[in-house]
Amino acid sequence: MATRSYRLDSSRLLRREPVALAVLTLAAILAFLFVTGLSRMFHAQQDALAQRWSARGLTDLKAGRYTDAIPEFRAALLYTRDDFDFRLGLAQALIGLHRNAEAFTYLINLWGRRPENGVVNLELARIAAEQGQTEQALRSYHNAIYANWPAGQEGRATETRFELVEYLLKLQARTQAESELISLAASASDDTAQQTRLGSLFQRIPDYERALAAFRRALSVHPQDVAALTGAGTAAYDLGRYAIAERYLQEAVSRNPGDYISNDRLRIARLVLQLDPLRPRIPAAERDRNVMTAFAAAGDRLKACPVAATYAAAGTSKQDLAAQWAKLKPQITPSGLRRDPDLVTTAMDLVFTVERQASEWCGTPTTTDSALLLIAKLHEGN
Amino acid sequence: MGSIQNSHASAHTPALAEKDAQAQAESAAGLSPAGVFWSVFREDRFFLVLSVFIGIFSGLAVVCFRFAIDWSRIYLLGTGAELSPWRLILAPTLAGLAIAVLTIHVFPAARGSGVNQTKAALYIYDGYIPFKTAIGKFIASSVAIGAGHSLGPEDPSLQIGATLASAIGRRMKLSRDRMRLLAPVGAAAGLAAAFNAPISAVLFVIEEVIGRWTAGILGSVVLSAVSSVVVMRSFLGSESLFRIPPVELRRPSELIAYCILGIIGGFASVAFSSGIGALRPRCRNLPQWTLYLQPAVAGMLIGLIAVLGAPQVMGAGYEYMDEAMHGQFTWQFLAILAVLKILATLLSFVSGTPGGMFAPTLFIGAMLGAAVGGAEHALLPHFHYTAGTYALVGMGVLFAGFLRAPMTSVFMVLEVSGNYTIIVPVIVANTFAYVISRALQPVPIFDLLSRQDGLDLPSMEELREEDVLRVEDAMQPSPGPVLECDDSLDRGFLELEKASCPFLMVRLPANGWACLDQKQADAWMKEGRGGYALGTLLTDAHIPYVYPDQPLDTVLRYVDRWPVVPVVNRANLRKLDGVISQRDVLARYRDFGGE
Repeated sequence: MATRSYRLDSSRLLRREPVALAVLTLAAILAFLFVTGLSRMFHAQQDALAQRWSARGLTDLKAGRYTDAIPEFRAALLYTRDDFDFRLGLAQALIGLHRNAEAFTYLINLWGRRPENGVVNLELARIAAEQGQTEQALRSYHNAIYANWPAGQEGRATETRFELVEYLLKLQARTQAESELISLAASASDDTAQQTRLGSLFQRIPDYERALAAFRRALSVHPQDVAALTGAGTAAYDLGRYAIAERYLQEAVSRNPGDYISNDRLRIARLVLQLDPLRPRIPAAERDRNVMTAFAAAGDRLKACPVAATYAAAGTSKQDLAAQWAKLKPQITPSGLRRDPDLVTTAMDLVFTVERQASEWCGTPTTTDSALLLIAKLHEGN
Repeated sequence: MGSIQNSHASAHTPALAEKDAQAQAESAAGLSPAGVFWSVFREDRFFLVLSVFIGIFSGLAVVCFRFAIDWSRIYLLGTGAELSPWRLILAPTLAGLAIAVLTIHVFPAARGSGVNQTKAALYIYDGYIPFKTAIGKFIASSVAIGAGHSLGPEDPSLQIGATLASAIGRRMKLSRDRMRLLAPVGAAAGLAAAFNAPISAVLFVIEEVIGRWTAGILGSVVLSAVSSVVVMRSFLGSESLFRIPPVELRRPSELIAYCILGIIGGFASVAFSSGIGALRPRCRNLPQWTLYLQPAVAGMLIGLIAVLGAPQVMGAGYEYMDEAMHGQFTWQFLAILAVLKILATLLSFVSGTPGGMFAPTLFIGAMLGAAVGGAEHALLPHFHYTAGTYALVGMGVLFAGFLRAPMTSVFMVLEVSGNYTIIVPVIVANTFAYVISRALQPVPIFDLLSRQDGLDLPSMEELREEDVLRVEDAMQPSPGPVLECDDSLDRGFLELEKASCPFLMVRLPANGWACLDQKQADAWMKEGRGGYALGTLLTDAHIPYVYPDQPLDTVLRYVDRWPVVPVVNRANLRKLDGVISQRDVLARYRDFGGE
C-alpha cells in the first residue's frame, strides 16, 4: 500500500508541469554527463587507434612499403575520417603504387579543403606531370612553390622549384627552366648541396657562367666539396677557361681519382693550355713547337680518318685536306715558322679544319685531337 | 472554413459553431471557457517543450547507439581496414546466433527495421511502445551492424527515439491523443540524429509514418528533430555521413543519362523489394528451430562475400559510399557491389536480424548510380561524368523506388549534398524510379512488411493518393431564385410556390445566408407578416456556408443542424454556386463507394 500511494503521489507530482520540466531537465543533465563520459572514452579510443594506424602507415610510407601503408592509412581514417594528414598519407601511398587516379581523387578533395597546402599541390603536380597534363602540372608546381609549407619544411618550396626545373628540362623548355633557376639562385641559401645542384642544372640549360658562379658559391662554404669542385671544373672547361678548369679539376681528381671523366677533362684542359700556340705572350720557340706538334697530330688524324682527308673546303684551291696538309708540311719546321710568321696562322687553320672534319666524320678523337678541337673553338672568329 | 468573414459574421459560422460545441462540452465537464482556453494552451505549450526533451534524449540515445556499433565493430571485426578472413566469417555468424537467441527469448519486438513498429504504435497501440523494445533494438542492432550484417542504424534509431518518446509520454501521463503523436515526434528525433539530416527526418516521418501534413504535430516533429541533431553534433561533430564532392550538371542533355539511371534504379528497387517480399515469409515459415540459425547463416554468407573480395558489403558501409562518390572504384566493381549489397541485405533482413534498411538502400543507390554513370561515360565519353553526382542521384533513386518516399528522396539528396544544382537530375531520376517501382510493385515495402506481420497499417502511399470528394462533387443548383434581404415575405412566398420547392436561399447583409422554407413561410403568412422584409424575419437564422473546393466531409458538420447549406463562390461570397443537403452528401458517398 505504501508503495502504491507513493506512486500515486509521484505521478500527481509529475503532472504538475514545472516539476515535470525540472525532472526532465535534471534527467537530461545526468544523461548528458553520462554520454559526455562515454564520448570521451570513445573518442580517446578512436584517437588512439587512428594514431596507431597512421604511425604504422607513415613508417611504411617512408620505407616505401606502399602496399602495407594503404590499409593502415585507411584504418586510421576509419577512426578520424576527415584527418587531412591521413588522407594525404593515403594519397601518397597510392601514388607510390602508381594508383594515380585514386590518389588524385583524394588529393583534389584535400586541395578543396586547403588549396594553399604545399604537399597537396606538389603531389597534384606530379600526377599531372605523369599524365602529360603540362599546364595543370605547371600550375600545381607553381601553387606548391608559393604554398604554405609546414614549419620546418620551408625548404621544400625550393626543392619543389628544383623539381619543376627538372620537369621543364625534360620538356625541353629551357627558357622557362632558366628563368626558374635564376629565381632559385636568387633565393637559394649558401648550402653546398643546393648550390651544387643549382650549378648542375645551369649546366644542363646550358648556362655555364651561372653554373660556375653556383659551384663557386658552394665552394666558398665547403672548398673541398668534390661535387662542387668537379662541377666548377666542368663549367670552367665548358666556358673555355681551361686554366680555371685545370685548377678545379685537379683538386677534384686528387680527391676522387676514380672520376675518369674529370680525369679526361683535366688531361684535355692541360693539353689545351700546353698546346695552344695562339695564346697570348707565348714564347716564340714554344709557339713553333706547339704548331709543329699540332700539325703532326692533324696529319695522324687525317691518316686515321681517310674520309676527312678527301674533304675539300669551299674557297680553297679545291685540294683535299690531305693534299693541303702534304703541301704545307715541308714548310712546318722551326726555321720555316720563324721565317714566315703568317705560316703559324695558316698551319693552325689547316689543323683546325682537319680536326673539325675528322671529328665530324670519324667520331671521338684522341686526347690531343680533342685539345686541338677545343683550341680551335677557343680561337673561333679570331 | 478558415474565412475571416466567417469569424466576424456571427455565431452561426462553422468555426465558431465548433468552438461553441467544444465549450459546451467542457462546460459540461465543469470548466469555465477561460479554463478551457488555458488548459488547451498550456497542454500545447508543454507538448512543444516535451518535444525538445524528446529530441535531447533521442539524440543522446543515438549517440550511444553509434558508439555501441563502433565498439561492436572494433571488438568483433578488429580495428584494421583489412580484416582476417576468419574474423570476417566468424564475427557475423556468432553475432547472428547471439542475436537470434536475444530476439526469440528476450526482445521479440526488436526484430525488423522499426518503421512499422512505430507506425503500429501510432495507429494501433495509442502511442505505446514497450521500453524493452528500445533496449533490445539497441543491443541487437548494434551487435548485428558492428559484426558486419548488411543493415543500417537509421531505422533502429527511429524506433529507439519513438520508444523513448513513448516512455516519457507515459511518465508524463499525457492524454491518449498526445501519446499517439509522441511516437512520430520521437521517431523524427531518432532518425534525424542517426542521419544527421533534420529536414529529411521530418519529411520521412510525415511522409511515411504520419502520412499527412498536420499543423498540430509539425512544430513538435521539427523541434525534436532539430534538438536531437544539435545534441548528436555536439558529440559526433557536424560532418555529413559522407564527404560530398563537387556536384555539377553541365548540359541539359545530360538529363538523359539520369533518366537511364532512374529506370535502372527503378528496376533494381523492384528486384530488391520483391526479393524481400518473397523470401521473408518463406524464411518465417521454416521450422521454428531454424529461426535460431537464420541470422547466423545470413552472417556466414555475408562473411563469405567479404572474404571473396567484397568486404564493402558489410555493415552500414558509409565509408565505402564516400569512396564511391570520390571515384575510388571502377564502374564494373561498383555494379558488382550494388548487386552484392542487395543480396547481403536480403540475407540479413529476411533472416530477422534487427537493423535498418536506410543505409543499405543508400549504399545500393550510390553504387548503382556511380556504376551507371561510369558505364554511360564509357559508352558516351562526351557525357560529363563525376562519380559523386551520379552516386548522390542514385541514392535518391533507390530511396524513391525502394522506400517509396518521393519527397524525402529529393530533400534527402539536397540536404546531404547541400547543392541545389542537383535538384533537376534528382527529380527526373527519382520520378522514373518511383513510377517504375509503383507499376511493378504496387505495394510499398513498408506496407508489404506490415501485412506480412499481420498488421493492417494505413498505407501512406494510398493515403497520399486517395481521391478526396469535394463539395462541388455533391452540390446541387439552387432550386429557385435567390431572394434578397429587402424582399418581402409575400414575394418570397410567391417565389416558393412558383419554384415548387420546399425552400429558397436568402442573401443577408454582410455576406450572410439564410433559408426560407415553405413551412416557416406559411406560419409567418398566417401571422400576417407578409409585408415584412425577409432580412428582418431571418436575422437570427444565419446558415454557415461552404466553398465548392472544400472536402465533402466539411459539410457533414452542418447538415444535421441545417437542412441545406449554401455553397458560395470564394471570389464573391454573395454569389451562390449551389446548395448541398445531407441527402446529397450521402448519395455522393454511396456512388463513390461503387466507383
